[in-house]
Amino acid sequence: MNTGNSTFTIPLGPVHVALEEPVYFRLTVEGETIRDVNLTSGHVHRGMEAMAMQRNLLQNATLVERVCSLCSNSHSFTYCMAVENVTGLVIPPRARFLRSLAEEIKRVASHLFNTAIQAHIIGFKSLFMHTMEVREMMQDVKETVYGNRMNLGQNCIGGVKCDLTPELFTYILGMLEKVEPAVEELREVFATNSMVVGRTKGLGLLPKEDALRLGVVGPVARGSGINVDVRKASPYAAYPDLKFNVITNDGCCAYSRTRVRLDEIFESISMIRQCCRMTPDGPTKAYLPQITVNEACARTEAPRGEVFYFIRTDGTDVPQRLKWRVPSYMNWEALGVMMRDCKVADVALITNSIDPCVSCTER
Amino acid sequence: MTDTLLGILHMSIFPGGVFALALGFFFKGLDRRLEARLQRRVGPPLIQPWLDAAKLLTKETMIPKTACRQAFLLAPVFGFTGMAVCAAFIPIAGVYNGLFNMGDLLVIFYLLPIPAMAIMLGGSASSSPFGAIGFSREMLMMLAYETPLLMILLSVAMLVGKGLAGGEWGAEFSLLKIVAWQQENGSLGLNPSMIPAFIAYLIFLPGTMGVPPFDIPEAETEIIEGPLLEYGGPLLALFQITSALKTFVVLGLGVALFFPGVISAWWPINLLWFILKCLVLMVVSLTLVKSATGRFRIDQAFRFYITVPVALALCSLILVWVM
Repeated sequence: MNTGNSTFTIPLGPVHVALEEPVYFRLTVEGETIRDVNLTSGHVHRGMEAMAMQRNLLQNATLVERVCSLCSNSHSFTYCMAVENVTGLVIPPRARFLRSLAEEIKRVASHLFNTAIQAHIIGFKSLFMHTMEVREMMQDVKETVYGNRMNLGQNCIGGVKCDLTPELFTYILGMLEKVEPAVEELREVFATNSMVVGRTKGLGLLPKEDALRLGVVGPVARGSGINVDVRKASPYAAYPDLKFNVITNDGCCAYSRTRVRLDEIFESISMIRQCCRMTPDGPTKAYLPQITVNEACARTEAPRGEVFYFIRTDGTDVPQRLKWRVPSYMNWEALGVMMRDCKVADVALITNSIDPCVSCTER
Repeated sequence: MTDTLLGILHMSIFPGGVFALALGFFFKGLDRRLEARLQRRVGPPLIQPWLDAAKLLTKETMIPKTACRQAFLLAPVFGFTGMAVCAAFIPIAGVYNGLFNMGDLLVIFYLLPIPAMAIMLGGSASSSPFGAIGFSREMLMMLAYETPLLMILLSVAMLVGKGLAGGEWGAEFSLLKIVAWQQENGSLGLNPSMIPAFIAYLIFLPGTMGVPPFDIPEAETEIIEGPLLEYGGPLLALFQITSALKTFVVLGLGVALFFPGVISAWWPINLLWFILKCLVLMVVSLTLVKSATGRFRIDQAFRFYITVPVALALCSLILVWVM
């Protein structure tokens, strides 16, 4: 075969069935094997950082929650933490627990969504439907407790908006009783089903050294055996009081990332339970003090990894600069390593394995 | 003259043409409905394939500027014609003997890959890179599933040939005689030496129909329908019609090869019995498989086809040879 000019280019995206959000891959392929990946993004740039600098601090809490849908809560969470840091505001203990509760509920739903999409990309429609059905229970929890399915609107500067009644705590615990065995079943399927394992095991390898070099975060890093979790490294909100393990897996492949996500769901379920039992009584909000000239940052562990917020204030209620770094920005770079000499069939699968959030990254 | 007219009638009304299309669409509708029920969805109404085709037929035909116009237009017609002719060759035991009483296995073996070739032709003519990938995948898949099919057909032909020749070596390729022989000597699907071949045929079905786990050439989440990507309107409807005809052909062929028994002397009962058998075959080999699996990668599928069904069919072939 003439290898001189046997490659051709395939456009993948910006609109593609397997991609939940627009991003454009230009793949140079030789037969079915990828030789080069060229990534172009910017289709959902909305100028959010510029918008944030024209709105006041309170309005921005609403704005940043709309950066992305699946980790919307993490954005408002981290933003509020940054504003609290810049003003030296300390939130009441009840608010700390309620914030962690909302965050973990979102994390369960987000991880289930990602695993469902993986099944969809493999073409396993029944498994996709089943996973989404389990996720739907978490959506019901969100809707019942917070009134919304995606943007919870729970975090506000100084605390939380929605105070949970004892009945709601009981309801959440009751739903977890249903969710936990269902996820247990899913974990079994994703770990043992020959079709899923055959398609994902050993796929999209990201060796530990590369993972460290590229600074990947979240389940991608933990799937490469790196013990990194902001909740443990610099505990915030209620995490110092909650007991949980950081899940890692040494597989370094798409399969191990899925395992990490599914295992993390159990840690999250355990944390939701702890929050439901341990949340102290008391106020849920603290008042915002005078804004001074200052700068601060905050970071949290979103479902996809570390979210970092930087804020600088000039004494007015409009921030002089608001800047954030999202986990997908770090994880994108790893795609180049993961897609080295992979097959066309696996591009979507590998992309999904880093759980990309394009609108976060481009904002 | 009457023969020609009769032939045209068989290809256009019964059992090819209208009848095969109605049955094929019915099977497809039921398949979608059953799959939905298995996934706890409601699913589309049974007439959905008709509605889809009807809607597509009213739409405009779009041809990409860079496409090879003639081949692009011809491909769906080519596939449709192949299947319409092939449908007329399928005997329905106790009802219909196959076109001109021929129903030759070799003719069917040559006609069966035509829809896949049409997809390949259309895909490469569309000038889309996804079409090109779909082309190479379809080609590999064809090589993979046609090999066991040939061996299955050979083992059936040899078994019946031996039976007809009174134990001497022989091969019988007339589907009509194969059906007649089975009606006297029992269905081949129940013959111990043919059970591996029957299982191989069940494995062949999802491959040739391009349903999961073998929907690789048209993988939606990988190459967005591949060769069919650029097709729309009446041309796409023609591909769907071809696929419905093919459903009828492969299921009908399976029934004729392995379970052609009749239960009555009255033809409408036999026709219903045939449809029922086709349905069971479809549920077992397409619907259930489809809802219990994901999609193979092309290399995995190829390896699977040239090992499992080939081994099974070879098993039957050897058993027929030695017994």
